Amino acid sequence: MTKILVDCDPGHDDAIAILFAARRCELVGITTVHGNASLENTTRNALAICTLAGLDVPVARGCEAPLVGAATHAGDIHGRSGLDGAVLPEPDHAPIDAHAVDFIIEQAERHKGELVLAVVGPQTNVALALRREPRLASWLKAITIMGGSTTVGNITPAAEFNVYADPEAAAAVFACGAPTWMAGYNVTRQTGFTQPEIDRLRRGRGRTAAAIADLMQFYLDGQRRVFGLDIAPMHDVCAIFPFVRPDLLTHVEASVEVELSGRLTRGMTVCDLRNKRAGATGAIQEARRPNARVATSSDARALISEVIDAVLSYP
Amino acid sequence: MTKILVDCDPGHDDAVAILFAARHLDLVAITTVFGNAPVEDTTRNALAICELAGLHAPVARGFAGPFLGGAPPFAAAAHGRGGMDGAEMPVPSRAPAPVHAVEMIVETARRHAGELVLAVIGAHTNVAVALRLEPRLKEWLRAITVMGGTAGPGNIAPTACVNVLSDPESAHVVFSSGVPVTWIGYELTRTVLMREADIARLRSGGRVARTVGALAEFYRQSYIRIYGIDGAPMHDVCAILPFAVPDLVRHEPAALAVETGPGIARGMTLVDRRGIRPGLGLPPPRAPLPPNVRMAVEVDVRATIDACVETLLSYP
Repeated sequence: MTKILVDCDPGHDDAIAILFAARRCELVGITTVHGNASLENTTRNALAICTLAGLDVPVARGCEAPLVGAATHAGDIHGRSGLDGAVLPEPDHAPIDAHAVDFIIEQAERHKGELVLAVVGPQTNVALALRREPRLASWLKAITIMGGSTTVGNITPAAEFNVYADPEAAAAVFACGAPTWMAGYNVTRQTGFTQPEIDRLRRGRGRTAAAIADLMQFYLDGQRRVFGLDIAPMHDVCAIFPFVRPDLLTHVEASVEVELSGRLTRGMTVCDLRNKRAGATGAIQEARRPNARVATSSDARALISEVIDAVLSYP
Repeated sequence: MTKILVDCDPGHDDAVAILFAARHLDLVAITTVFGNAPVEDTTRNALAICELAGLHAPVARGFAGPFLGGAPPFAAAAHGRGGMDGAEMPVPSRAPAPVHAVEMIVETARRHAGELVLAVIGAHTNVAVALRLEPRLKEWLRAITVMGGTAGPGNIAPTACVNVLSDPESAHVVFSSGVPVTWIGYELTRTVLMREADIARLRSGGRVARTVGALAEFYRQSYIRIYGIDGAPMHDVCAILPFAVPDLVRHEPAALAVETGPGIARGMTLVDRRGIRPGLGLPPPRAPLPPNVRMAVEVDVRATIDACVETLLSYP
């Protein structure tokens, strides 16, 4: 079973990613970061999800702001707490004493060559860990990112939220040299719960499924209101799938670079897909060297079905 | 009949655009700009096309480089060193008009106020400077129709295409001018391919069609070599279609802005496709960009290529 550490900013879809990783991988820890809400809230939310589902997993607090500039939050989608829509239990344990950056390094060293680092929030913790411990990239089995997009953004026309929230950190992570997987908004926005699937969760017997159904209903309503989408996109869990059911996502090897100085495109993942288009086989001038496996499509219904089964398996 | 001025950088596909515009519309002038080749070459090529087809529209030479200076990225790999290699072109019997392209654009628009469509199918430098020099130009123009940029992968950069990346600041001026802009990007025009059989038809035609057939064959070979695409893409004529044979292109309103920053996305034509609902009052950065273009979303490729071939065969 794949050993995995989830670096996240819960967040409705982060909650699902945690629950799925805990069931289908060996979840060695959770680290939290600013993002969908303040660090204080994302940390409390991570602990509350663990308490709800009875997960005994260490949670380490990370960075409260990006490397450059002020933090951006997504209250318009996730609510003021970052995880609105359900009454969650008070956490029954506290974060561990170690900082997320130290915890990431410690776990990667302990599980050298085996650990998958899932980065499903802004990439501040991971960028700092890569700088603090230059061997980290070589210790990791893979970095799997939910972030960026090959096409449309969400927070700006060009940029997806997680990368926009700390572009410099994302640039460091994409350039680190570890085997890197990217599940971008281009795929994750089409991979989510429909209303009948949320209703199916609600019919589950456990308190976890009931609470998750409430959370997802809030999240779906937000997606309908803001984006006119009729699904609740499960962005973050898509980053876990290459290590659980790799057949449910399609990837291409491509160069991914983060735009840092754009007037309109700051935080965009510039993916060089010029050679990946249908019918193109030639060598385009200056095509860039691939540094990531970039998801281009998903079998959304099969993927979501796996996610629902995982959530329904909790008490 | 719609009056049109074609601002261009011939260029193989520009040649087809000029010939198509001259047959279907009232082509009142041609202005040239750097792009596929230096402006001396694109001007000579424009005059040679007029000579070949007996067109009398005045040709005025424009800018040799982008607004902010610097070396323009000529497209010799695709178009050859002369910008339009592959056929023996006649030597032009006339010189360019004795005015700058900017003056030609302004004077032509003034003369045909409310009627003129300005087709921008090269770098945007001439048009941007004209818009800044004569603030009334934007009221005189009926429409601007642009081939350039992309809403998908680019050509000379991962997300940018040559016509816009050649001069992003000027493209920004054009797209934000307030003139109604009809826009088609590279991700669509690269599929509008003149195939070997189409080129064979041209080669059975008159002098004009045979010459353009030879040009198209050169261009097809370039695309096979560079992109692995078997066909000569008719990028520029796609900007003429909406005013000549409107039912061949389907458009949707869109919000487009040009990245003028110095980073790796410089020259990108950024389209806001997030689907953010209007009227939510969301603050930036979530706030949607305002719609400013009629964006081509679908082209009837076969009918377009057939129309090009028929048009070229109608010449002597």
